[in-house]
Amino acid sequence: MSAEYRKMILSGNEAVALGAWQAGCRFAAAYPGTPSSEILPALQQCRARLGGDLYAEWSVNEKVALEVAVGASLAGARSLVAMKHVGLNVAADPFFTLAYTGVEAGLVVVTADDPGMHSSQNEQDNRYYASHAHVPLLEPSDSQEACDFTRLAIEMSEACDLPVLLRLTTRVAHSRTVVEFEAAQSTRAPTGAPVNPAKYVMLPGYAKGRRATLEARIEAAGEWGLREDITREVAGEGPVGFIASGMGYQHVREVLPEAPVLKLGMPYPLPAERVREFAARLNRVIVVEELEPFLLERVLAAGLAVEGLPSELRVGELTPMRLAAGLAAMGVEVGERWHRSVAEPMGGLPPRPPVLCPGCAHRYVFTALARHKVFVAGDIGCYTLAALPPLCGMHTCLAMGAGISQAHGIAKAMEGKQSVVAVIGDSTFTHAGLPALLNAIYNHSNMTVLVLDNRSTAMTGGQDHPGTGLTLSGEASAPFDFAAVARAMGVESVHEAAVGDHAGIDEALARAIAFEGPSLVVVTGPCPLRYGALAAPYTVDPEECIACNECLRLGCPAISVPGDSDGKPAIDEALCTGCGLCAKTCPVGAISQREGGEAGG
Amino acid sequence: MADDILIAGIGGQGVVTAGDLVAHAALAGGYQVKKAEVHGMSQRGGSVVSHVRISDSGAIYSPMIPDGAATWLVALEMLEGLRWLWMLAPTGRAIVDDRRVPPTSVILGGPSYPADPAGPLAERGCILCATEIATAEGAPRAVNTVLLGALSVCLNLPLEAWRRALEECIRPKHLDVNRRLFEAGQDLARRTAANLLTG
Repeated sequence: MSAEYRKMILSGNEAVALGAWQAGCRFAAAYPGTPSSEILPALQQCRARLGGDLYAEWSVNEKVALEVAVGASLAGARSLVAMKHVGLNVAADPFFTLAYTGVEAGLVVVTADDPGMHSSQNEQDNRYYASHAHVPLLEPSDSQEACDFTRLAIEMSEACDLPVLLRLTTRVAHSRTVVEFEAAQSTRAPTGAPVNPAKYVMLPGYAKGRRATLEARIEAAGEWGLREDITREVAGEGPVGFIASGMGYQHVREVLPEAPVLKLGMPYPLPAERVREFAARLNRVIVVEELEPFLLERVLAAGLAVEGLPSELRVGELTPMRLAAGLAAMGVEVGERWHRSVAEPMGGLPPRPPVLCPGCAHRYVFTALARHKVFVAGDIGCYTLAALPPLCGMHTCLAMGAGISQAHGIAKAMEGKQSVVAVIGDSTFTHAGLPALLNAIYNHSNMTVLVLDNRSTAMTGGQDHPGTGLTLSGEASAPFDFAAVARAMGVESVHEAAVGDHAGIDEALARAIAFEGPSLVVVTGPCPLRYGALAAPYTVDPEECIACNECLRLGCPAISVPGDSDGKPAIDEALCTGCGLCAKTCPVGAISQREGGEAGG
Repeated sequence: MADDILIAGIGGQGVVTAGDLVAHAALAGGYQVKKAEVHGMSQRGGSVVSHVRISDSGAIYSPMIPDGAATWLVALEMLEGLRWLWMLAPTGRAIVDDRRVPPTSVILGGPSYPADPAGPLAERGCILCATEIATAEGAPRAVNTVLLGALSVCLNLPLEAWRRALEECIRPKHLDVNRRLFEAGQDLARRTAANLLTG
């Protein structure tokens, strides 16, 4: 293939896909999770525009995604698996033992961490997974490196007989920077899974053998860290030098563009020789990193006298300004630009947190649930937003699928004296709700599971899942039937209702909550964000309106009180999707649908 | 020339697309460019910002605009304009749509919407009736394009670069109306916002 160079502005996620494509990745699996969700669709785009063979799927969860990718690698297909940081907790079981077995074809595990918790329940630092499992870690700092390191990760994985962990953070995954690349692809056809029990059957006897080789394999992987395209020294001036990786590298260059920096593309195994050499030439060396002191601990363990950032910078996202302030507090001379007093954010402004969308299929369910005075064990998805005012309809959010297990625990501990409902979305139910439900049924639980089926993995951008009846590539697939599966699993009280059928929802909830034993209600209504507006917008007749504010308590962002309306609400027709919930809520019938019938999608 | 452009608005208003347009125009104009934003939960009707950093001279490292260093603030809603006004450099200018969208906290009787949002914003730039223009063209979701038309008058990027950016970032069926709205934004800035150009 003749070399063809191109230049594009790509997000870190798109660049990861491009690097995987260049490496001849034939197999990719993921469960969507911000900030990693765009990687698989981008890989499909690469295939569509640049050619090559590729199979990619949304797997039902991260553990399954990793395991199918391991299977593909075993068959000789170069593979990628992607997940958000907490997804690696779910996939941790195969991940650790995978380091023992190693791989046939190259396998890169992409983790997208979320410092600052823009869209996550915690800000765990997944670099520790690499050192804990003895898996090499590559950490890109922009889209060019995201592309190059993904390609290298697949090659390194194959050469070192280890999976490679590629760690992105939100600012790398979702920033767009320029990538120059060659539109050429390596090819490696799958050769079939070899029968090699000593390598792939991790019985204790075989596992002991592989454990012994793991030390040598990770040491060999460490040699890659000496390469100039992975560990790079930026020559500079000044008494202080910096060791940095990932977005920390960009921030330190921003703050001190003239300072010497040793940039580590592979924080684990630490290229100790390069670090020693660098530190020996400087009076003072500071390690710049985001979140935990992962690099600092390793450099200190190598016996080098270096300093870390002030500990308060370990919480939340690192920014150039926070870094500059932290360095200044350590006595490092930062330029005048960073000393300049910056205006404070204006005080007293009303916050604008995320909310359930106008027309959200879930909104009525939470108002109905509130009437039952039950404890609501929640889960992870858009509907978690119902925990906020005015709905205040959810009382826990811990982990994928945890609501069902928590509800069961509460019901058992309270021996029936507290009614509990577990609320879970359709995609989350298929991800981790199934075993939790089986456990509750098996152990004679007395609680209700409410499945909010909006036919979409909505929070992460509307991806498909087993309930939507479509695969990632748009192929039809038998839609997962929540009610039928619950019945087959042994739930006796199973009810189904459509979102617009308020009486049906009320009755289903009343019967399920009253039932002695596990019960399940499925409420189905399509996500308006994915499937479009439902109908023509509604409008408030100010002549009829009595300003009781019942409609405002729905927390619909399309309804508000304009300054000039005597306290009477009005509906923003550009936002209204025509769900009609407010009209049904209005006690005096002041809200009606605009003429013009059904709206276009 | 180096510019740090902060685009602010509400999730769903097209903040991310607006940032993409500026980034593509900068790249087409031969500039270095980096852009940062967050997706996911924050996009559900919440406050959203996109950082776009462009330069035809020095290198850009961090994709995030340092505090108080934005040369331009483009806001698709007035409260969001006020929220991010502090990010402007002393010489920075704001281009703000005159739309007011009260957040849920206001709707529920919490802190009230600022009584005179236009005052502090107009002091730092100009307030345009972009929603009115976009709605009149039957494209209320393309307010971002009107504001970018106004921004384009202030930046040093060739018009051809903006044309290419529109083609690359806007779906073909919406391209014509977006081109018209971009031009309307240019006219609006030239006619009514002299203080943008004098700096």
